[in-house]
Amino acid sequence: MAAADSPSAALRRDLCSRGIRLAGKMRADVVDLLDAYVEQQGLDASASVEAVEGVPLAAVERWDEQTGTQRLLENLAAYRAFRALLAQMLEEQREQLGEADAGLGRALAAVLLQVSAFAYHLEELLRLESRGTPDEEEDGPPPPPRLSLFEQKLRGLGVLRELAQWAVRSVRDLRQLAKPSPATGAAPSLAESP
Amino acid sequence: MFSRWNWVACGFYLVLNICSPDASNGLVQSCGHIIPESPVLALGSNFTALCILNESCLDFGNIYASQIIWKIKNKLVPKEQYREINRTVSSVTFNDTSSLATPLTCNILADGQIEQNIYGITVTVGLAPEKPKNLSCIVHQVSRFTYVMTCTWNPGRHTFLDTQFKLRYSWPEEDFPDCIPKDVNNSCTITDIQFFVNTEIWVEATNALGKAESDHLVIDPVDIVKPLSPQNVSVSSGVLPTVLQLSWENWISNAVMALKFNIRYRIAGDTNWMEVPSEDTASPRTSFSVQGLRPYTEYVFSIRCMKEDGEGYWSDWSEEKTGITTEDLPSKGPAIWRIIDRSHSPASWTVHLIWKALKPFEANGVILQYEVTVRDKSSLSCPVKKYNVTSTNHTLQLPEGTYEVTLIARNSVGASPPSVLLIPASNSKAPVKNLRTLPKHDKLWVGWTAPNSYVLKYVIEWCLVSSSSDCIMEWQIAQGDVQGIDLKGIKPFKCYLITVYPLYADGQGSGQSVKAYLKQDRPSKGPTVQTKKVGKAEAVLTWNHLTVEEQNGFIRNYTILYKTIDGNETVVTVDPSKTEYTLSSLTSDTLYTVRMMASTDNGSSTGPDFTFTTQKFGKGEIEAIVVPVCLAFLLIVLLGVLFCFNKRDLIKKHIWPIVPDPSKSNIAQWSPQVPAKHNFNSKDQMYPEGSFTDVSVVEIEADDKKSFSEQDLKPFDLLKKEKSTSEGHSSGIGGSSCMSSPRQSVSDSDEGETTQNTSSTVQYSTVVLNGYRDQTPLQVFSRSESTQPLLDSEERSEDHSGGAESTAQRQQYFRQNGGQDETNTDRPCFERTKQITHADEGDLVGFVQLQISGQSSQPLGLGMEKNTQEAALSSVLQTCTEGQTVRPETVEENPLSVDEMPKSYLPQTVRQGGYMPQ
Repeated sequence: MAAADSPSAALRRDLCSRGIRLAGKMRADVVDLLDAYVEQQGLDASASVEAVEGVPLAAVERWDEQTGTQRLLENLAAYRAFRALLAQMLEEQREQLGEADAGLGRALAAVLLQVSAFAYHLEELLRLESRGTPDEEEDGPPPPPRLSLFEQKLRGLGVLRELAQWAVRSVRDLRQLAKPSPATGAAPSLAESP
Repeated sequence: MFSRWNWVACGFYLVLNICSPDASNGLVQSCGHIIPESPVLALGSNFTALCILNESCLDFGNIYASQIIWKIKNKLVPKEQYREINRTVSSVTFNDTSSLATPLTCNILADGQIEQNIYGITVTVGLAPEKPKNLSCIVHQVSRFTYVMTCTWNPGRHTFLDTQFKLRYSWPEEDFPDCIPKDVNNSCTITDIQFFVNTEIWVEATNALGKAESDHLVIDPVDIVKPLSPQNVSVSSGVLPTVLQLSWENWISNAVMALKFNIRYRIAGDTNWMEVPSEDTASPRTSFSVQGLRPYTEYVFSIRCMKEDGEGYWSDWSEEKTGITTEDLPSKGPAIWRIIDRSHSPASWTVHLIWKALKPFEANGVILQYEVTVRDKSSLSCPVKKYNVTSTNHTLQLPEGTYEVTLIARNSVGASPPSVLLIPASNSKAPVKNLRTLPKHDKLWVGWTAPNSYVLKYVIEWCLVSSSSDCIMEWQIAQGDVQGIDLKGIKPFKCYLITVYPLYADGQGSGQSVKAYLKQDRPSKGPTVQTKKVGKAEAVLTWNHLTVEEQNGFIRNYTILYKTIDGNETVVTVDPSKTEYTLSSLTSDTLYTVRMMASTDNGSSTGPDFTFTTQKFGKGEIEAIVVPVCLAFLLIVLLGVLFCFNKRDLIKKHIWPIVPDPSKSNIAQWSPQVPAKHNFNSKDQMYPEGSFTDVSVVEIEADDKKSFSEQDLKPFDLLKKEKSTSEGHSSGIGGSSCMSSPRQSVSDSDEGETTQNTSSTVQYSTVVLNGYRDQTPLQVFSRSESTQPLLDSEERSEDHSGGAESTAQRQQYFRQNGGQDETNTDRPCFERTKQITHADEGDLVGFVQLQISGQSSQPLGLGMEKNTQEAALSSVLQTCTEGQTVRPETVEENPLSVDEMPKSYLPQTVRQGGYMPQ
């Protein structure tokens, strides 16, 4: 109870709450962006896309057995990867369409900002867990190979789909973290995490 | 000599130094410069400037720092502020930069008098920026996914300098581009706002004198959102008549922001909004059922929203949408009243039932019809009569009695509760007491004291009193437990007649009435006053009451104001019921001005002025003067008559003296046949010979004209005709006058021959007269009764009818009182004196008695040959014709005398008591 009443606990709870809502909004925006992107890029919404390289899969086995730090680190790695991919997509988008479709570019920029914001939330939470944030260079995805235009479009579609899934998972992770559990706040548990 | 040339050379060098271009340092080679160069100074601070002279100027021009003077915009700086640091440097110090202006120049006095500018700088004075305050931000939702954040702040005091403001915001690990305000310095809008991340926001202000930063604001932009108002609001009727269903769409998804709502509504046409309790709409939703509404009523709805937790701002109200609730049963029966007309027959009533249409919130729908049921309570056997009416009145012919009228309003859903009105045979119950009114702003409060008995309802009737139209009644029903109501729609300055009837369970009380005004004003005009009767000292004034439209209030009194032209005004107050007033104690024969004023509680109006003049004499005064005067006159007349009667003999003697009869004169005795032939009347016999000399002249009454017959007047007309050709006829013998017998003056009459004979047989005589009244006659004539012709010449002259020779036809005349016409002795005529007649000259001439002898047109009279006398003669004749009294016996006698004495001549008399034949 004392931990719950401390400023760090309140800040953690606030960060979790805000992160949950941000993830929710990010999912809604990404879903809307997906529709716009598919239509804009002339893709088939039902097209299957292979996993994006450099992005951890949102689906994971034994999700409920993960520690809080483990969840935060996986989320942070994923969203840093998304931030880089989205920034690349935004640059490619501007190269391809210029200012012809500013709406899609603005939506991509907005999602990119949300991803950045969510990554900030995760870093703050990790900081509250007394766990430093890993360097971005270490965990960042390798530079993407040079792709054709169609491959870029397909990769973009895959990034957005994966981001949408990650948004759902992030909501669940943060809700799990927000629960007052002795294991989540214990440093040893974090230390046990890989 | 050397010194002069030296100074001239020095000045020339200075000019060259200042003005000539220099290859190494630009266009101008200055003799010095100022430090600092164009400084920006804080307002109110102190400032020191240095003017440094070039060494070259010192060597050649003998210019030293001691010669430096400082100027601010051509205004010399006091030398107390100078300081000579060394021979080339001079400083000036200002304790307060507010006294500085641009430019600040360093000058030198060459040769002690010639002022030369060395250098100048521009000084800028201002303030450092203040710390921006009151930073606040709001996130406006522009579209479904677009939000912009606008921050505003207080920039602080004016700095007089170019100050840059920028809005900065950042995440802990990420900075964003600054927001630079455009055209303003107190707000800026950020377009790339991300929710759910605490954002640090602050404002920086920078100018040449410094930099200031506002407090940092750390907020999640989602907490300061003003969302767009709900869209596509629709209203639909529910199953219940008191419910309407609202639905709408939100611009923000629940994933981003959970919303709460406000719903407001009002009746269409009303301006007052009602709100659904906020706790009912505190959760996210897209529809809501508003309950507790009135049936069949149009409502207007509007919705707004904000973040569910109350952070942020309410959106604007959505567009208004209307909806109508469904119909329901009328909630109450219409208020009903009646007007009973008994004018046709006391035993049969014409009952006008009137009722008020239900208000919308009472009707709860469209009233399709009214059902009127009339039941005769005095006769149980009479069937109940029902009427279906679509209007709000119904007229019945009912025998006198007690009736119960029931009224039901019906709409598409059903019928209203019944309204019952009892119409008793007579309003014998107790009336209300102490009926009174009181204006309350635009309403007129009517109050009363309830009777002792229990009253079901009160009916208040009122109508606008008008002089030109009937009282159009309005009415209202009040419940029995109230003792006063407000009447609406009452016009100011109008008179209303208000009547209150109490309605009992078993009857009706008689009405009590009162007149009232909502607001009074002074009368629109004053009464028009006029006099009904004006006397010597009093005047009765009358006026008409002002019409009720002119009164504008209760007439409290009339005021009569009257005055003479130069007198003071007298004021009399008169009761308003009067229409007449008597002013007393007025001055006789005086012009008065009177006007009248009508007064209400709020003022007075004066009518037009009316003037009248009092009479000079009072009633009876004239009679009191005239009657005695008349009586005295009558008395005098009566006495005069009596006196005349007593002295009639004397008067007769003077007025009608006895004329002696010539026939009884002595000379008549020598005419043997005369006594036998003349038929003298008895009157003639009365005169003795001794009175022969008396001559009486009769005054002809002017009014005796009628006594002449036409035949009598005819000869005179002829005479007038003849007068135009013959004038100056002398009278005949014996004082002939105009009263001479016409037989002697008309020649062509039936008796003309006789007359001719007479004229041809003029008797000549000499008349010897005694003096009349001791007067001695001037001439004595003898009269001859002889019928023999005189000289032949005389006969010949007579044969020439109208002959001009007067001497041939000699006339004789009598002159009374010894006439003075001595020159006309050849033409004797008779002339009356003025003593006899009361008439004027014309009348006097009228007494020139003419006697025309036969057919002779010889002029007769008093030498009246002149034409100027013709008119007079005509007048004489006319006068004679009118005035003379013909004695018929004389006319009748003459023919007889002629027959008997055809050749005799008798003077004729035509005036009774006047000239008598002798």
